[in-house]
Amino acid sequence: MDGAFRKIDIDAFDEDVLHESELYDADPRDPAEVLDEAKQRQVAVRTSLAKSDIGGALSIVLENAPYGPNVDQAKEVTLQTLLTILNTTKSTEIPAVIKALSQDNQDTLMKYLYKGMAMPGWGDISGSVLLGWHEKLTEVAGTGCIVRTMTDRRIV
Amino acid sequence: MAPEIYNLAQTPITSHAFSPDRNQLAVSLNTNDVQIYSRQGNEWAVAETLSEHDKLVTSIDWAPHSNRIVTASQDRNAYVWQEMPDPETGKLVWKPTLVLLRINRAATHVRWSPKEDKFAVASGARAIAICSFDSENNWWVSKLLKKPIRSTVLSIDWHPNNVLLAAGSADMKARVFSAYIKEVDERPAATVWGSKLPFNTICGEYASPAGGWVHTVGFSPSGDVLAFASHDSSISVVYPGGPVHNIRISSLPFLTLTWTSEDSIVAAGHDCQPVVFSGSEAGWQGIGSLDDTTAPKATDGVRSGYGGNTSVGRLKTGAFATFRDADSRGQSTISGSSSPSADTKLLTVHQNTITSVKPYEIQGDQVIRVSTTGVDGNLVIWDVATVTAGGASAMTARLGSTHLR
Repeated sequence: MDGAFRKIDIDAFDEDVLHESELYDADPRDPAEVLDEAKQRQVAVRTSLAKSDIGGALSIVLENAPYGPNVDQAKEVTLQTLLTILNTTKSTEIPAVIKALSQDNQDTLMKYLYKGMAMPGWGDISGSVLLGWHEKLTEVAGTGCIVRTMTDRRIV
Repeated sequence: MAPEIYNLAQTPITSHAFSPDRNQLAVSLNTNDVQIYSRQGNEWAVAETLSEHDKLVTSIDWAPHSNRIVTASQDRNAYVWQEMPDPETGKLVWKPTLVLLRINRAATHVRWSPKEDKFAVASGARAIAICSFDSENNWWVSKLLKKPIRSTVLSIDWHPNNVLLAAGSADMKARVFSAYIKEVDERPAATVWGSKLPFNTICGEYASPAGGWVHTVGFSPSGDVLAFASHDSSISVVYPGGPVHNIRISSLPFLTLTWTSEDSIVAAGHDCQPVVFSGSEAGWQGIGSLDDTTAPKATDGVRSGYGGNTSVGRLKTGAFATFRDADSRGQSTISGSSSPSADTKLLTVHQNTITSVKPYEIQGDQVIRVSTTGVDGNLVIWDVATVTAGGASAMTARLGSTHLR
């Protein structure tokens, strides 16, 4: 029997279908603007890291992080910047740094940790570093933070 | 006062509702039937079974003044049950009346309006059926609230003015509708939600910043404030025209909430314990749990459990140790242990998700006791005043520790 009918996108025939874009408020910024901003942040983060201000660097990169469609390049730059910070932080400093973050930034950091774990072999991602941060972040922000990462449609 | 704990069944309790005098209890034990339990001293015994639905009963509500029960089910029907004398024996029995809901998906939640002349049925058909009694034809008729609902409606709650209805939905929105029925309602007075209220007026639409299905909604006793909890582990308190407070919690999401006074809410869910929030227009915060997880429980001696009350993220105890011992030493702590459940028992009273919290005892304008039922088949009655753990940070640590293992 022909199974092609199983591959028909039935949602296309449903007038009332709920679109991804209706589930969250879109980022009002222009994609090019977002990319510019991400690159500027990369520079600002390097300056902060040079002064070994980890908390400041993390806040810079996590504040207003790019999300939604059409900003893939900005997302990549942001992830790369974030990984630089994660990789340079000494494991003994992590808890204090996380505690100083705002709740919003903690949630965003968790999103990036999962994004990083979903991309094995990409860039200089090291699983043990991400897992170390994940453990410390969960200790501070709880399982609620992980739940929010899963429910939030504003994907970073 | 310690909570009263009753184990009604080994199956999940989908919904519960107390009779007006609280001596009877209607529950659905994850089946097509509704069981009516009566209190006999310290026990609950099945007095009657209401069988009419063909599929799982999803929600039950017992009208306190008119003593009628309404049940909603996945078979897309609702029944109104009334206690009447049996023509032959003269004994009081519950007689069902079918309600024409006109929905093509499961009914998910049902609530009587405060005046008990209407009830609302939430459904998976992206609609809420507002049902009123048509005395000419002697049946219940329904009118559907449809726009702009985009997905299954998961919960509803009536405003005290008998007209406004709050609904939480799987399209991640909590909404306030007008459910004004010309034949039943008098023209409502203006409220903070609006003044002109024809049927299906949308008085407000709210979402939590991180989204998530809205599992539960509730109006404050005055009806001027709306609270809702969503699957992003947060609870939001809405002051129409004013601030919307969003409190993120560090543990698992809430499924159900009830206001206990104008400045206090009890919420419960996947975290297996009822949590108290308190605040005003200036701000809200979690103040603690009704469940003292550190207290020893009389029923099982010292409460133990993996994870314990120590730091989170530990893997070397409990389940992990069980499997490691089984693997490396061929030891099984499960079969040989004197108390097999010791390792798998949660520190909370409820041993699984709490699916329903309702006001149990009201004194003046304060709810002083609430009842909860959950997936563990337990019914627990809590004293609202007994809150453990002070500050929000202390609670964060506690909630986190009871859930991470």
